[in-house]
Formats: sequence, C-alpha cells, structure tokens
Amino acid sequence: MEWRCQIESIGVKMPVKRLNTSELLSKLKVPCIKKFSLLTGITERRVCSSGEDSFSLAVNAAKDCLSFSRYTPGEIDMIINCSITKYKDGLSHLYEPAFATLIKKAIGAEKAITFDISNACAGMLTGLYLAEKFIKQGVIKNCMIVSGEYISNICDHAIKNIKTSLSSELSSLTLGDGGAAAIIERANDEKNGIIVSGFTTLSEYCTLCTGRQNRNAPGGKMKTNAKKIHQAAINESVPIVKDALNRSNLSFKQIDWLIPHQTSRSSILSGANQYLQSFGEKPGQILVNLKETGNTASTTHFLALYRYLNEKRFRENENVMLLCFASGLIIGAVIFRMNNMVFRYGNIN
Amino acid sequence: MGTLIKMVSVARPRINFLRGDSINLTARAASQCLREAGIDPHDLGILINTGIYRYKNTGEPAIAALIQEKIASRNTDRNGSRNSGNTFSFDLNNGGCGLLTGIEIINRMIIHDEISYGMIATGDSEPFPGLSEEFSFNAAAGAVILSYSNDSPGFSMFRTYNYPEYSGEFESCTCFNKTGRNGTGRNILKVMQKTSYTDFCVKCAVKSLYAFLDESGKTLDDIDLIIPSQSPHGFTGRMKSLLGLKDSLVELPDGGRKVFHTAGPAFALKKVWDDKRFRNSKNIIFLTVGSGISISITLYVN
Repeated sequence: MEWRCQIESIGVKMPVKRLNTSELLSKLKVPCIKKFSLLTGITERRVCSSGEDSFSLAVNAAKDCLSFSRYTPGEIDMIINCSITKYKDGLSHLYEPAFATLIKKAIGAEKAITFDISNACAGMLTGLYLAEKFIKQGVIKNCMIVSGEYISNICDHAIKNIKTSLSSELSSLTLGDGGAAAIIERANDEKNGIIVSGFTTLSEYCTLCTGRQNRNAPGGKMKTNAKKIHQAAINESVPIVKDALNRSNLSFKQIDWLIPHQTSRSSILSGANQYLQSFGEKPGQILVNLKETGNTASTTHFLALYRYLNEKRFRENENVMLLCFASGLIIGAVIFRMNNMVFRYGNIN
Repeated sequence: MGTLIKMVSVARPRINFLRGDSINLTARAASQCLREAGIDPHDLGILINTGIYRYKNTGEPAIAALIQEKIASRNTDRNGSRNSGNTFSFDLNNGGCGLLTGIEIINRMIIHDEISYGMIATGDSEPFPGLSEEFSFNAAAGAVILSYSNDSPGFSMFRTYNYPEYSGEFESCTCFNKTGRNGTGRNILKVMQKTSYTDFCVKCAVKSLYAFLDESGKTLDDIDLIIPSQSPHGFTGRMKSLLGLKDSLVELPDGGRKVFHTAGPAFALKKVWDDKRFRNSKNIIFLTVGSGISISITLYVN
C-alpha cells in the first residue's frame, strides 16, 4: 500500500540582526555596482551575530515548527537535516556527528532516526522528496526536514574580492541567513497533500556555481556564473515542469502559486517571461520573497511558504508548485494542494 | 523479489604516499563499478555520495553531482557521445553509517519500481593536506551498485539504533586558527576522538546486533557473514573476540594508525566479493557504526 503525504507544519527562525543592501555595498573597496537593490529586489537580509549559527537557527526553526504542529518532539519518527552550512559555535563547521543527531537531542525527539543530506539550495526539497519516499511506503508516519543556513559569511570574502560588476562573486551579495523546518506526514485526506515531486541533476552544468570553505580565512566563498546558470536553469526546466504538470493532471494556469528558488527578482521575472512563451499560459501568482531576507540557500521555499501562511494569503485546496534550481545543476518541482494547515496559521476562510 | 548488490568497487591513491583527492578517488571507484557491472552512467536513477571528508571542503554543488559529471565524462570518452540521462544525485552524511543509509534509500526506490539501478559512492581524504589534526583515515573510496532481482531476496530489514548519550565521544569540525599577525590563519580540520570511543562503539554495536537478531527471529549461528565498519581503530578485532567469531566477521588487515572510514564497509564487501564468500553465504549482516553513536544494521539474504 502507498500512502499520500502532506506538509503538516512549517517553522522559521531568522537571525535578529538586519543588514541593509546599501550598508553592505558601502563596504566594497571599489564602488562598482549600481541598481543592485532594483535588480535583485533585496533591500536587506538577516545575518547571524553572536550566539547565532546554522545549529541555533535549525534548532529554533524546529521548535517553531513544533509549536504549529499536532506532534510532540517524542512523536517525530525521522529528522533530516538539509543545510549546506553546518556551523556550530560560531564559524566552526561540523562534519561529525550528523547535525540531525544533535538537533534530535536539542529538541528531545528521542525516537527519531536521523541523517543529514546536502544538495546545495535544493537541500530542503531533496529532504521533502526523501521523507515522501519513506512515508509513502509506510516505513515512518512523519518526518521533520530542517535547515539552518549561516551563509552570509560568504559576503565577507566577496566584499574583499569584488572589483567590477562582472565579478564571479557578485551573487554572494544576495545571500542571507535563515532557518526553516517542516513536518511531512502521512495524509489521510485523498484530495490534498503532495501530488508530485521529481528532481534531476544535470551535472554538465556542475561547475557554474561552486562554494567551499576558505583555506586562510573563516567561513566560505562562492563563485557563480550567474548568467549561464540562469539560462541553463530556465531552458532545461521547461520539460521538467511540463512532466510534473502532466503527472499531476494540471495545466500551468491551474497552479495558483508558483514559488521558485529565490535568487534575484530580475532572474525570477525573466524566467517567468520565458515560461509564458513556452507554456502559452501563466500560473496564478509568482511569489517573490527576497526584499527582507535575500537568498537564504536551502530554506527559501519554506521561508516564503511560512510568510504567506502567516499573512493568510493561501487558501485550502489551492495548487502550489515549488520550483527548485540549485547548483549541480539540480532542477526539480514539487506540486501540492494546500491543506487545512492554513487554519493553524490563523486563516479562517 | 528484492534489491541485490550488482557490483562493488574500491579505489586507493595510485601512489601510496599520495594523500588522494576524495572526488577523483570516488569517481574512479564509481566508474570502475559501472564498467564491471556493464551499466551506462545514464541508467543510474539515483547517485548518493556518503563521503564526509571531501577535497578542499567543497560545500556546493553536492559532491555527488561532481562525481556524476566525472563518470559521465569518462563514458563520453569511451562512446564518443553523451547522454545525461535522468540521474538525481545528492550527498548524504551519517558518519560511518552513511553507506548503509544510502543503501536503504535506494533499496526503497528499487523495490517500488521507481528506478532500475542506484549507486552509493563514498570516499574520504584529507581536505587540505597538512591542515588537519588527528586525521586518521585512509584516502579511500568505494562504490556499490544496487539493482532489482527476481531470484534472491537481497536486502530484507533495515534498522538504526541511536545512542545520543555518547554524541560527545567523537567530533570533527573545521575551526579557524589564528596563527599570524593581522588576524591571518588557517581553517584546520580537527578530529576529536575520546579514548573510550571504541569501547562505546563495541558496546552499542553488540547491543544493537542482538536486538536486531531478536527482531529478525535469527540467532548469531544463523549468520554466515558479518560485513562491518572498519573504523574506529580496533573495532572489528574487539567485536570478533566479544562475539566469539573468527572468519565470519570481515576484518581488513591492520594498517596501523590509519583506518578506512566511510568506505570501510565497501572495502570489506569487496574482500568477500572477490574471494566468493559473499555469493556462497546465505545470511549476511551489514553492521555500521558512526559517531552519534549510531548503529545501522541490515540483513542481506542470498
């Protein structure tokens, strides 16, 4: 027997400190970037300060998620940590034990099976995909996917190295920190929940965005060929989106909310235009959630969902598509029908 | 009828004193595994990398994507054409238990007919040679291909046992060490293993093994072969003496202070694969131990 799955609850933890874009750009040695806020749509991002790191963001997002959930920590069957960054105690990057093991201990999820995955900005959606596999096959009843991204330290490296507006480190300035968690559960409702999820890795583009730890400085660095990766992502995603729509028996215009990975406003809008040309129709709304958070790596989709849930923008039975682009190049789509989770976030309609 | 192991391959640096690059080593093991199994890279539905200590501490893309590209490129060289297929790849980290967690995920996808072939590739090497403290793992990589079989049950039961009370026994992280003036310094990989870690690993493994056997309705006498983790140092030897086993628990030759980490079970599997003990055994247990402390066990039936 195969079970259906649904997102049961979502939680978020954002760092306290805000860093606005003009303040960030003023640190550049050579003032070479104009209209950054206009192009990216990012006016500020949250950045970790003392006492905050990937671990604290993940743990507090998990606790926030549980506060909206029907589950107690002791009822969680599985925890998958999905972050790129695993900073604990500041900028100390943990390799072993798995982050999920420590999160389990911190939230008191005694019986949970744990492991970490890492799949660049596709991390949380990869976690959702794996959770769905385990739940559908009856191995577990629920799973918490969680990610805390302390990734803004990459900006520090970029600030020192950007000399022109063509720098490969320019995309680093879009990054912000944030934590998100979601509980995926077995659905009893035949109508709502996850309809389809599918991913592919187009490894011929794997060098277009690379990130690693610095050798001689704290934190990491990232280099991106933004133009090429954006073009590849849009072109290559059209057949994948078509396939996802076919498998869910939906047309593009029946998608009420399209939530792409949040990189920059101009990329999202130009992608939307190319989709319009390819599909001949457009989804209800395309969600852009960059203004106050920036690109928070693996957590962007869930930050956007959380914000719109709390703003009571979603309605039960609406079709939502989470569209994933991540370095690798990973392209994937998750389509789900919004369930009664909206009521737990205060929606009364 | 079940998921079976189609092929296993391992790789070490070609020149002994070289410390190796985990990505190239793992890609070499993966390519060899595909070649020996007669499978094209684009036929892989899933590729999971479970190595932990990676070349230059690469964070993104996933190492699995880099391995996927290297094995696809090697295939292109051979055939003169390229088919990127529909492989989905990602990294999984679960300490020394990663290989078995990866096998469990792929097993579920194969038995539910979502994919035909899946590969778990794993490899470790010192990220920046010379920039680590107490890094005691061999540069080594392994790859295992799984596929569906109508003939044998293959993997039948997966269990994971966690002992979070021992989570402080083993930790590894990179920390910035200020060494020079003006705040200059290095990111150093520190591996911190308490002297009691091996004892706790053995204690947890034995307890978990008996719990697993009870649940599966088998006794230790029913098991023909145990393929265990090869780290921490001394783990296999103590398991053997505590369980009163001789050759049925696969142990690699003692290489001194350095041990095989995430690829250890693949090296142990390769040993019994080559001497045909694997195919001649009926009930086989894979037992992995990882920091946390986590114990993963599965039963494989030929």
